Amino acid sequence: MVNIGLFTQIVINGLLLGGIYVTIGVGFSLAFGVLEVVDFAVGEYVMIGAFTGALLTPLLGAEGVFVIPIVLISFFALGALIQPMIHHVTTGDRPHPLLMGLVFTFGLATLLRGSVLSIFGPNNRDVPSSLLTGGVEISGVGTFPVVRTVTAVFGVSALVVFMYYLYRTTGGMAIRAIAEDRTNARLMGININRYQSIAYGAYAALTGSAGVFIGMTFTANPGMGLQYTAFAFFMVVLAGMGYLPGVIVAGIVLGLTQSFTAVYISGNLVLLVLFAIIYVVLLISPAGILGRGEWAT
Amino acid sequence: MTDKILQTTDLTKQFGALTANDEISLSIDRGEIRGIIGPNGSGKTTFFNTVTGFYKPDGGSVHFDGKEVTGWKPYRLARRGLGRTFQIVSPFKNMTVRQNMLAVQTDDGRSREEKRNRAEEIMEFLEIDHIANNEARGMSGGQQKLLELGRVLMLDPELVMLDEPAAGVNPALESRIMDHIHELNRDGTTFVVIEHDMHVMKTLADSVSVFDSGSHITQGNFTDISQDDAVREAYLGGTTAEEDGVPI
Amino acid sequence: MSETTSVTNRIPGSRRYWYVGLGALMITWPIIFGNFWARIGVGALMWIGLAQSWNMIGGYAGYLDFGHGAYFGIGAFAAGIAMVQFGYPFVVGFALAIVVSIAISYLVAVPTLRLTGAYFAIATWAFAEAVKQAALITGITGGTFGLSLPRSPDTFIGVALPFQIGETFFYYAMLMLCMATMSLTYYLFERHEFGYRVKALRDDQDAAESLGIDTTRVKRQVYVLSCVVAAVFGSVHAWYIVYIHPNDVLATIITDRMVIMALLGGLGTLTGPVVGGLLVFLLQRLSSVFLGSTTFYLPLIGILIMITVLFAPSGIIGILRGEIDRNDVRQNVKDLGEKFNLL
Repeated sequence: MVNIGLFTQIVINGLLLGGIYVTIGVGFSLAFGVLEVVDFAVGEYVMIGAFTGALLTPLLGAEGVFVIPIVLISFFALGALIQPMIHHVTTGDRPHPLLMGLVFTFGLATLLRGSVLSIFGPNNRDVPSSLLTGGVEISGVGTFPVVRTVTAVFGVSALVVFMYYLYRTTGGMAIRAIAEDRTNARLMGININRYQSIAYGAYAALTGSAGVFIGMTFTANPGMGLQYTAFAFFMVVLAGMGYLPGVIVAGIVLGLTQSFTAVYISGNLVLLVLFAIIYVVLLISPAGILGRGEWAT
Repeated sequence: MTDKILQTTDLTKQFGALTANDEISLSIDRGEIRGIIGPNGSGKTTFFNTVTGFYKPDGGSVHFDGKEVTGWKPYRLARRGLGRTFQIVSPFKNMTVRQNMLAVQTDDGRSREEKRNRAEEIMEFLEIDHIANNEARGMSGGQQKLLELGRVLMLDPELVMLDEPAAGVNPALESRIMDHIHELNRDGTTFVVIEHDMHVMKTLADSVSVFDSGSHITQGNFTDISQDDAVREAYLGGTTAEEDGVPI
Repeated sequence: MSETTSVTNRIPGSRRYWYVGLGALMITWPIIFGNFWARIGVGALMWIGLAQSWNMIGGYAGYLDFGHGAYFGIGAFAAGIAMVQFGYPFVVGFALAIVVSIAISYLVAVPTLRLTGAYFAIATWAFAEAVKQAALITGITGGTFGLSLPRSPDTFIGVALPFQIGETFFYYAMLMLCMATMSLTYYLFERHEFGYRVKALRDDQDAAESLGIDTTRVKRQVYVLSCVVAAVFGSVHAWYIVYIHPNDVLATIITDRMVIMALLGGLGTLTGPVVGGLLVFLLQRLSSVFLGSTTFYLPLIGILIMITVLFAPSGIIGILRGEIDRNDVRQNVKDLGEKFNLL
């Protein structure tokens, strides 16, 4: 007999989680569309965001939320710094440029993870927040933990702002043009490099700040990056690389899957279930959306 | 041994809402050189890809040398004697010219010795034997074109489908390539050639097929084709001007 | 093409003496230098072999397998399970590692190799992570406790042997395996026509198909072979270190290391993994000795990957062969610098 109360609570948790996952997924998907690189470092941006939160919060009156603006700005700068390197690797006369871009981000991920692990050790750290405590109980529905709810709200708001930028401003349109057809975008006079920097910087900023919230919701740990990289892959594989609306749905599916698996099966198996799904989806319908040559037999 | 080496019947290929090949039926006689012309986007290269197995057809059939080969994977067709080249030439950059030739795989039980000798023969024929040990990466565009032809010839193909062999090639080399094609044709190889250069088409092709908007609209010898109003309208710019019997 | 001559061509006929000397050194290594250096040798030889195995599928065939380390772990656990859970001698574990890795890699290859570059990387990565998770959960692998393998003299072939199974034994075992791997790679990929087909499918898969090459079959063969090699080394490694745990033998860092070794040395070359393997292995050893840290080499590997991909994508061998010289690298750095200015 299914406990309705528990069930709805799981759904609520899943949806709230989905709210922040979507932010990560959309950024990741966009980075792929604009830079043509599968960014293996996405999870590490989350991790570093969480760690930044853990380290800076004590300096800022023990309030995690105050770290957010700092992360947004510094991660944007970080992304803008990294983007030219990725661009350099994926263009130019070298074998398999796009795959080399992937290897590059793989190396970047290793660097980030290894640095934090070496400097700070393997233990968990908290991102404390005195503002976001407790929960709001809505009778008949369930409890909405404040920190998770605010996280989800942030995630969705960030997404809305981001989407607005993409679809309603000239800058956003330029970025979409680049994602769709790089050559023609260049011919139309769009400064590819500049917009790629903006896109990647925005993606890093969003992902990093999502990390702060995730740090507040769960914890910060040097090894957590892998999990979120897996999450990002999960979302875009489900949605199809570069297809933004699908990512939103996929993010929600991810949150729900995690929530349900953790309760009904086992917390340990969440990753396994996700990997299995990634695997199966990739095999049944590998993205034809990529259009990297319809030649592939 | 049929005299129709290649035959397609209502061959269709769709990409979503776009019908790139709409029930294409044509047949190639053994020993002929068939030209294929048509505006960009008319489905010529798609046709090549569907026939040679790179695309799965959505309808219709392909018969090669009397046998149904619809949907066969490209390597099977290649081993059976159907060779093709691509619009954008790409030699195997990280190997030498000779290694490019030797990478070709047939399943006719040739010994390594025989294969090497054949590769030497072909390279001499195409006059690229002097660069046999050079890395393909450093070759000029013209040499790459010759290598591409050479590789296909390693299959000892009965039918060779060439996708714009003269594209971007200087007149001297173009003429050389055409001579090679004629010589191979005299020795029995059938050719199907996509080309945009009308001069080339006139001297090369025995018969020309015209594609437009996914359909095979007509076929005939070059002179008849170039006089055809529909063809002129669709492809040749509606012009009535001519030079040496070639529309300009 | 660069005008510079490669370094190796400048060595005259004395090369032969070089090789003989090197060979003699390798054969007498543990005898001359003792156990500590034998241990170094075991590690170095194993990693060279692992790097070479990755080079087969990643370098020669051009398919970036980001889950290759899983097979190392699979081989390790095959040996471990055979010896610990079933009490078989090591040779059975060794054989089991081969059989199991062939089976699993074939099952993975059929669906996964249909994917293109980036997706293949993700899928193999996901596969490896899933294997690790599964190993942590199931009982037969010892779960979260791992397995401890026996190492008495009768555990090799089931009959008591007159010598101890110590550092020297493993050194020669790894030496033989490494030499076998190198010879196999050399023969198959550099001398045999098979190698031409592999390189052809890497350079242009469609052109290769159109020239009679069954690319699907060739890809699978390379993948399965490369996985078996990794598993073989894994099985010997398991017996060597005696205690295996999923977080060690199925760790992501194993794949990371293989990738950087092959990349740094030179993808798709025979000697690349040797150079890269030695360098990275020594780097890791030195950093743990002098910096006292077992994790500090991680960010170093990360930086190495980034720098190599940025400035010298054809690796050290590429530099030695004259494919890239100092001027090219300088130009490379300049190009990169320009990109920053555009901001």
